[in-house]
Amino acid sequence: MKILSKGLVIVASFFGIWFLLSKLDYIAFFKIEIKKSDIEINLGNIIWEQIENSEKVIYEDSILSTLDSLIMPLCKTNNIDRDSLKVHVISNSQVNAFALPNNHLVIYTGLINKSKNEQMLLGVIGHEIAHIQNNHVMKKLSKEIGLSAIFAITAGSNSRIISKILKTITSTSYDRDLEREADLQSVKYMLKASIDPRPFADFLYDLSIDNEFEKYTEAISTHPDSESRAKDILKFIKGKKIKSKQIITNQEWEEFKVRVKAF
Amino acid sequence: MITYSTFSYKPFESELERASNSYLMSLVALIGGLPMPIFNLLATLFFYLGNRKSTSFVKWHCTQALLSQLALFFFNSAGFWWTVYIILDKSELTNAYIAYMITVVLFNIIEFISTIILASQTRKGVHAKLFFVSDITNLICKTNEDIK
Repeated sequence: MKILSKGLVIVASFFGIWFLLSKLDYIAFFKIEIKKSDIEINLGNIIWEQIENSEKVIYEDSILSTLDSLIMPLCKTNNIDRDSLKVHVISNSQVNAFALPNNHLVIYTGLINKSKNEQMLLGVIGHEIAHIQNNHVMKKLSKEIGLSAIFAITAGSNSRIISKILKTITSTSYDRDLEREADLQSVKYMLKASIDPRPFADFLYDLSIDNEFEKYTEAISTHPDSESRAKDILKFIKGKKIKSKQIITNQEWEEFKVRVKAF
Repeated sequence: MITYSTFSYKPFESELERASNSYLMSLVALIGGLPMPIFNLLATLFFYLGNRKSTSFVKWHCTQALLSQLALFFFNSAGFWWTVYIILDKSELTNAYIAYMITVVLFNIIEFISTIILASQTRKGVHAKLFFVSDITNLICKTNEDIK
């Protein structure tokens, strides 16, 4: 064997082993808790404070407990610490949900109202949890706002930058690759929790075809090409065994929506 | 991984000891210098420099010991600095990082075991050659059996 080929064998075996080993999820398996940086914690608190002061936050126990019982199986089967997520519901007609730094997950009532079933809602929530778990929020902010600006607002309040951050988080999309990663991660979460992910694909498809619907969903529809995302999900689940377990009964789901609509 | 052959001449007892020590040097430095990957490389480099005017057999094995350390040095250094970046909060702990460190540890264990075998075989007078590294050593040391 020529010397160069021998060298290539060693290098290729190193990268090959590394590639194969990196397919395992050590962080979830060993339940490693990744410490959030002080900047992220402060930033999350500052932004949430801003939202709390400007929006109508719902603290209704019956709504939050139903939402919690929906999210719990998704977290439990995927080794996600439910207590690490700070889930908030806001009364707003926009069909939107978004993740903030420091594990804040904000859901608008518009999204709950438009979800025809629990699977649709969980698909979007799973998508946001994936953004949180993969640290997409800080990656997006440092790319679009700049780490120095983020650092400046955590050192001293700067309303102009805070509103820019809020706009970035709530109404603009992530990179196409990050969106796709979060979509597929959400589908994996759902499959593992025996939740049918097909309604999630339907939801994304609805976004792309229903123009009237999109008028009210400006924020979420800015996500890149909803139709191709729906197709990617269907391609991913093709041939996979899908179990469909209902978390709450249809009656409980309808009652939940009635309670949400009241706000 | 390791192949055995005879050198172009029969080395003296003193040569066997010095050649074997070149491998042992890297093992001692590896244990003493953990987790800094540069230490075992430096130890073999100094041993190599001290023996470069020695006999062909000693020089050949000192070169092989040095090159075997050099091969892992780049992978170890990448792992070392990646760890430092995570500790300093400039990078995050990911599955890719954990997989990389497992791979590096795996290759270091293979290298560690190989070095022990090389040291013991060289001490017995066997000309032990490490996969790939021995070919490079042959290119550097023009005093081996392949050239004659």
